Amino acid sequence: MASSRIQATLRQLSKTYKKKSRFDIGIASELPAAYKKFWREWKVLKPAAVHFVPQEGKWKRDELTGETLPVQNIPLPLKHPAELHEGIWGGEAVIKGFQKRDQLRRRVAHYWVPVLKRTVVRSEVLNTHLSVTVTERTIQLINDHYGFDHYLLKTPACDLVSMLALKLKKQILTELMNGCPRYANNPIKQKEIYEEYKTYLTSYTPEEIEWYGLSWYEALCKVAKQKEAANKPIPLKNVYRKNLLEKLKEAGIEGSHSSAEEMSNATSWLSKMNPFGKKDEA
Amino acid sequence: MFSTFVKSFSSGQNVVMQQTRNTFILKRRFPPTLHKKGGKPPKMKARHFIYDLVEETNVQRKPDMKIILNQFVDGVGKAGDVLTLRPNVAYKEYLMPGLAVYGSPENLAKNEKQEYDTIDEDKKFSSPYVQRTMRGLSHLVLQITMNKLVPWTLEPWHVRVSFRKAGFVVPEHAIEMPPITIRGPDLSLQNKEFYVTVTINKTEKVNVRCRIHHWATGLDRLPSVDFHWKKPMEALIPEQAAVLEEMSLPV
Repeated sequence: MASSRIQATLRQLSKTYKKKSRFDIGIASELPAAYKKFWREWKVLKPAAVHFVPQEGKWKRDELTGETLPVQNIPLPLKHPAELHEGIWGGEAVIKGFQKRDQLRRRVAHYWVPVLKRTVVRSEVLNTHLSVTVTERTIQLINDHYGFDHYLLKTPACDLVSMLALKLKKQILTELMNGCPRYANNPIKQKEIYEEYKTYLTSYTPEEIEWYGLSWYEALCKVAKQKEAANKPIPLKNVYRKNLLEKLKEAGIEGSHSSAEEMSNATSWLSKMNPFGKKDEA
Repeated sequence: MFSTFVKSFSSGQNVVMQQTRNTFILKRRFPPTLHKKGGKPPKMKARHFIYDLVEETNVQRKPDMKIILNQFVDGVGKAGDVLTLRPNVAYKEYLMPGLAVYGSPENLAKNEKQEYDTIDEDKKFSSPYVQRTMRGLSHLVLQITMNKLVPWTLEPWHVRVSFRKAGFVVPEHAIEMPPITIRGPDLSLQNKEFYVTVTINKTEKVNVRCRIHHWATGLDRLPSVDFHWKKPMEALIPEQAAVLEEMSLPV
């Protein structure tokens, strides 16, 4: 009977026990909800099927036996090389796998690498042309969305994947939030552009835009920097001096020459010294 | 023959090594077993990483794209014209240089309402192709071939025929002849030049350089000159000399 009780306890514990996620450890626990939202959009959401054709529906019937089976689409594992983050590949990536070229021959390893090309894209909001490495699919997507900005703004981070695309998206969002300052010399055009793209701003708050497109390391650095700026250490000598002066005041001993305020403001004799001055000056 | 080709193509496995310039769409040859609802996918074995290339729609020709010109483009059209082009051409030659915008439903609706009459450049030319025609005509050296033995007077239809031989269909009413009547055969005309004025679409006027060549066969035939169209010649009519001087010769 004892074993069953242990089992019951374990079951109970396993219900209450929650495995620590990456947002629960160390400084990461101080990351704001805005960054968590972006992380979810980038890493947790399932990207669109690019390299395989997903099966439709929830269930399918086995033609031979008539058995009903669930449809389970297991995506092909993709490799994201460092070069992916220097271009915009439109969801494509490197696939590592095997080819079985003949029935009676051993499988051979093969990498399916997308065909990359360098081309120009135009960003309306940023009012610039950019030279980027893309795939044919990216251009197709840009054309389908009627523009580079529309493509970036409409596509979730999990489909953009690359750091470059995310950074550009962040820049475009920031630009929109500030009301397109790059078109300051042409107010009509500025208004036109803002009217066209302002719908995308509704899904982000300013804080979310600030935390958008940051890698894990960058986000942690940002938190650390904010934390450091928030509690900047005050030199103890200043604290002690202030305390002493207050004590002296309480005791009724007036400073013979200077008041407490003056003392704290008085510059140190050290600062009066000029080691680089001429000899007779010092 | 053709059917066997189609068969080998559609069976897929025989043409695995074909290079395709598109997104690779793959398929597992041995799909993994089913897993429990909400559970982990089964542990993958090496055979689950054997992929076959699917012969997919991406190989197909991409559909044409609509774009709207936002300015006058020489030889193409005027602002507001909707063009249907191959996606690559549209992207590289019109959208990136900023000559056109995407033919999205909003842009098309906006385009229908907008009027481009105020733009001066459109008014300048009677058609988008006029500039091209004018360029072609102004660089032309028109050889008017006339008989060396039988007397003649130069008439508009001679010029029309010469134009046709040079690849331009010019109606007679569009040709303005030089102010003097030219009679021949006269070998002193051989090394002289003059110009006729062609009116395109009853609007644009171009001067075309003309030279008379005396034609005969046998022993009467004039010796051939290499690259005669590149050589500068004397003006037949002194009043036209200044204009002819300014017109450029083919290089």
